[in-house]
Amino acid sequence: MITKTALGKTLTAAGLLAFSTQSTATGSALVATGGITSFEGTAGGGITPWALIAGYGSSEEVQGTAALQMLNVGDYQLRTLGAAVGIYDRVELSVQRQDLKIGAGIVSNVFNLLTEGAVSNAPGTSIGQDILGLKVKLLGDAVFEQDSWLPQLSAGLQYKKNRDMNTDLPLVNGAVPIPGVGVPALLGATEDAGTDLYLSATKLWLGGAMGNNLLLNLTARMTKANTFGLLGFESATDDGYELEWEGSAVLLPSPSTAVGAEWRTQSDRLGGLAEEETVTDFFIAYFPDKHWSLTAAYVDLGSLPFESNAHGFYLSVTVNL
Amino acid sequence: MKFLTILFLTLGLAACANSPKQSLYEEIGGTSTLDKVYGLAINRIYNDPRLAPHFEGVPKSHLRKMLTEQTCELIGGPCTYSGKSMQEAHQERNVTHAEFYILVEHVQQAMRLIGLTYAQENRLLAALAPLKKDIVYQGE
Repeated sequence: MITKTALGKTLTAAGLLAFSTQSTATGSALVATGGITSFEGTAGGGITPWALIAGYGSSEEVQGTAALQMLNVGDYQLRTLGAAVGIYDRVELSVQRQDLKIGAGIVSNVFNLLTEGAVSNAPGTSIGQDILGLKVKLLGDAVFEQDSWLPQLSAGLQYKKNRDMNTDLPLVNGAVPIPGVGVPALLGATEDAGTDLYLSATKLWLGGAMGNNLLLNLTARMTKANTFGLLGFESATDDGYELEWEGSAVLLPSPSTAVGAEWRTQSDRLGGLAEEETVTDFFIAYFPDKHWSLTAAYVDLGSLPFESNAHGFYLSVTVNL
Repeated sequence: MKFLTILFLTLGLAACANSPKQSLYEEIGGTSTLDKVYGLAINRIYNDPRLAPHFEGVPKSHLRKMLTEQTCELIGGPCTYSGKSMQEAHQERNVTHAEFYILVEHVQQAMRLIGLTYAQENRLLAALAPLKKDIVYQGE
């Protein structure tokens, strides 16, 4: 028989134990230094990788994160989820699944244009993509080398595989006018997979902006992707790598809050309906403790097919394991 | 571009912060504040089973005096650190990155409990952060 007092003591002991191990359960590194999780699964900002390694693991620890992101832009809804593991604060491995839902209105418009009005009604569709990420920290310590201007530098790659390059687009009556041609192929993409290569430089200035911490990141990316790979890779006239630039500027006005702005250029190799513009976002991230973070953002994707003013709200949650 | 405006604004703010009229040492209340911060931090550190083994045989009062003196010098105070170099002091202990981060969190907590502002805390950490490379993995 467990008496009330004994039970109370046991619970208190369990509580204390949980509390005392809390700070290392998710890794030892300082809160917010793991960044958030980008929609491509890589630790960073919302739309670009940072040189920081996912999670709060130190060079003696292996820690993981899981994250999901939602972005609503008019008739487009992007849902992504994935996980990352940071190994000894040196290597980051990530897997990410993306699902872009496209409303019936957009698909109908595409058919209408391509068939010169012969087909003007089609159901909605979706495009899936899987991303495997690898990041390696090359040098530097973004947080602690406060006596130097040198950033932390990491190199990475994102292998992307579009799952709906050749998925049939049926009409309302179930007929498939162009078998084996999915949205990416329809818009001119010629490959269903590609590997992005990037170099990220990240630096945190403790107290750098009137006592608030300031983080700046610059990423250079070599890519063959159209709209992040969601619209496939390469085109009939351009199968080479293009260099794109991405950046983040983040202010941390309290130990648990980060506000920032980001941008990311795109190649626009398909043009026409699938014209790409520079992506920008403004975000606020909340880090209540080292177990999780929540990010809300306003994202301007520039343009998407039949959504010339593609902007909307982005919500992301990262859980530290 | 909206982004660039924000970037230059934040960089502008950063530049302003680099020319304070008063030293951080004077702003936080000098040696007496540092002494309180380290008194509290050291109690937390010595009570942390993950860190305590590193401080066996080190009297609390000595560590407190050394840390206060060293920090005072780093943030513009009228002190001269009289202790061992960080490399020398940590030669016999193979301090891990994880242990270093845990210690930083105790010092951070102490600063907050003593009543330093977030800005003061950040600037103080900025002065201490470069010591990391001379503290971790100095054994061997």
